[in-house]
Amino acid sequence: MIHWTNLFIAEAGMFDFDATLPLMAIQFLALVFLLNKIFYKPLGKVLDERTEYVRQNGQDAKGRLEKATAIAAQYEQELVEVRRESQSIIAKAREEAQQVVTAVVQEAQQEIQQQREATSQEIETQKNQAFHTLEGDVDALSWQILEKLLGSELAR
Amino acid sequence: MEFFAGSKVYTFLPLASLEVGEHFYWNIGGLTVHGQVFMTSWFVIALLVIASLAATRNIQRVPSGIQNFMEFALEFVRELAKNQIGEKEYRPWVPFIGTLFLFIFVSNWSGALLPWKLIQIPSGELAAPTNDINTTVALALLTSLAYFFAGFRKRGLGYFAKYLEPTPILLPINILEDFTKPLSLSFRLFGNIVADELVVAVLVLLVPLFIPLPVMALGLFTSAIQALVFATLAAAYIHEALEGHGGEEHE
Repeated sequence: MIHWTNLFIAEAGMFDFDATLPLMAIQFLALVFLLNKIFYKPLGKVLDERTEYVRQNGQDAKGRLEKATAIAAQYEQELVEVRRESQSIIAKAREEAQQVVTAVVQEAQQEIQQQREATSQEIETQKNQAFHTLEGDVDALSWQILEKLLGSELAR
Repeated sequence: MEFFAGSKVYTFLPLASLEVGEHFYWNIGGLTVHGQVFMTSWFVIALLVIASLAATRNIQRVPSGIQNFMEFALEFVRELAKNQIGEKEYRPWVPFIGTLFLFIFVSNWSGALLPWKLIQIPSGELAAPTNDINTTVALALLTSLAYFFAGFRKRGLGYFAKYLEPTPILLPINILEDFTKPLSLSFRLFGNIVADELVVAVLVLLVPLFIPLPVMALGLFTSAIQALVFATLAAAYIHEALEGHGGEEHE
């Protein structure tokens, strides 16, 4: 029926070994060397170079990031310092203004006080003067009343 | 039902012929070779070389198109070699492992995707190069040579000490391993590819339309896996030779 042995005999079967084997081996080795020249070496070099490039770029970027962070921190600190300074300047200005206000108010009060004193003194002198004048008038009037009552000779 | 008897069965469709164990013999200087294997292997080699040349013709730092694709392939085989052999020693082995993978993968897929059989040759039929036992045995023997070379270069004659590890009792088994490794490598690849092709052929013979499609898709999958397995095992053997049984095993 089916001659399975046909598959295995050396003349014409699946397991027919001949010069194909060594020639194929040589051909394959040649392919290895050829591909090594035109494929593995150039493309491998490119891959390695790219890895190196990416690594270096990553390192550069990291360095730059570090620098940027440091600068940002420095700015932050400077900002804090400047803010504190500005705060102190504002406080000082406010204090000075307060002082000026206080001084002006005091001066004004003093002036008011002085004016008040001066005015009251003037009032006093005018009152005294008025009294003096009135006293003179009283004397004269009393004399006149006396003269009128007693007559001029008696009165003198 | 004489599929294999005359090794040649024709049905009403020209696509659905089945030939097993027939070869297109060439005589080169007294040597007999299987012409159909070389024809398809040259096609595969040409494809790889053209793809490589196209990828490296105008190398850019930011890859695109074919360069991107071939870089992906290179990174894949590099990772494969690195995972098996280790960070320190994998670099000189990338061309060998990578070419094993690429050659077997492109061969298998060319056999599964291209309608080789439409091209008539005087006897036999065109198929994937890995469909021939000579190819797979050649690759497996090269792998054996590679790991012996790796072992001897790394440790000199001390390489033989590996046969006595972990205990001298295992000496016969360790020696036997050197024969079973290429045997299993070559027959696994050969068997899978031939079996896939036969299953597809027989199915096409029985039901010419649509039904074989899932099996063909499965064949694509198997072909890719077999290429990966061959390259991975080759790398693992090389690693074993470099490290020895006594060394720390990374598996």
